Amino acid sequence: MLLSFVQWIQLTDFFTALRGSAYVYPIVLSLHMVGISLFGGMILVTDLRLLGWTMRKRSIADVVNQLRVPKRWGLLLTVTCGFLMFGSKAEEYYYNAFFRTKLILLALVLVSEFVFYRQVYADPAALDQAPTVPGNAKLAAAISLLLWTSIACCGRGIGYIEPPLDKIHAQIRVLYETALTASRGPHSLKGQDHQDVASAN
Amino acid sequence: MLITNPLNSSALAFPILECFHIVGFALSIGTVAIVDFSLLGVGMTRETPAQLARDTWLWTLGGLVVMLFSGLLLFSSDPDMYYLNWPFLIKMVFFVSAVIFHYTIHRKAVSSDTPPPNGKLIAGVSLFLWCGVIFGGIFIGFVYPGLSFGRI
Repeated sequence: MLLSFVQWIQLTDFFTALRGSAYVYPIVLSLHMVGISLFGGMILVTDLRLLGWTMRKRSIADVVNQLRVPKRWGLLLTVTCGFLMFGSKAEEYYYNAFFRTKLILLALVLVSEFVFYRQVYADPAALDQAPTVPGNAKLAAAISLLLWTSIACCGRGIGYIEPPLDKIHAQIRVLYETALTASRGPHSLKGQDHQDVASAN
Repeated sequence: MLITNPLNSSALAFPILECFHIVGFALSIGTVAIVDFSLLGVGMTRETPAQLARDTWLWTLGGLVVMLFSGLLLFSSDPDMYYLNWPFLIKMVFFVSAVIFHYTIHRKAVSSDTPPPNGKLIAGVSLFLWCGVIFGGIFIGFVYPGLSFGRI
């Protein structure tokens, strides 16, 4: 069922057009990276503050509360671009072990958020009143650091797994094969991919 | 080649270095963005940009060092390819400009607790230059040898 869903989503007109465009994919990926550097960087700063390694002159409440909104915008940008990339090659992602691992790790982020929300993130001012940062806040920060860096690394790993062409849906397979032939040729002229995609369709 | 690069004898070396590169730039650009957003009046506004810059400069520098050294190692895996890759050349122009801008004009703008009148412009230029570095880096992988453009 999941497989037919990913096949359906990548064959929608929107994602077919996205896949066929030579320029859109790298632009979306670049925006994904911009999101990571904003959102990821701010997560690192929040976690490092909870661990007491940076911004020690600022209160935890100051850092956590004020970075909340820009972090959400960064997350929105990253997730939107991530979803656009997923949708354009959904079936390939479906088979990708790094992508699956990445989704599991993202689910673990939600779990840890749920577990630590009341003790740590709901009332950061309470953490400032404690003589030292409570152990569970540090644990939450360490888990967050570990999960988010692993998610970034898994994301990088996705590109290193070749799609299993024998399993890929027939209509998509033609696209992959023409794209692979084009990329392995000595020179690919501008616009050639567009023609390949058009004729395959 | 008389000397072979040990990086090229392991399939894992390149992706692992890329991971360091990503965490390095997330740290450096993320901390720069916190200061720039503050100059723009977004995010951490209860502190002055100068206070934030003093809080984060070491982490910015640390991220830059990780990014630079992992980047040099990535470059060493295939220097000829990078030399002929136009997004790489554009990325280097953006990177050198961003670093020079950061440690001259940008540093001066956040050195005193009263931000300069053109603080928003400086923040905008800083964010633009760093985003240029990111875009250049991504497009490296989408250009075929021979300076043409295409999709993989």
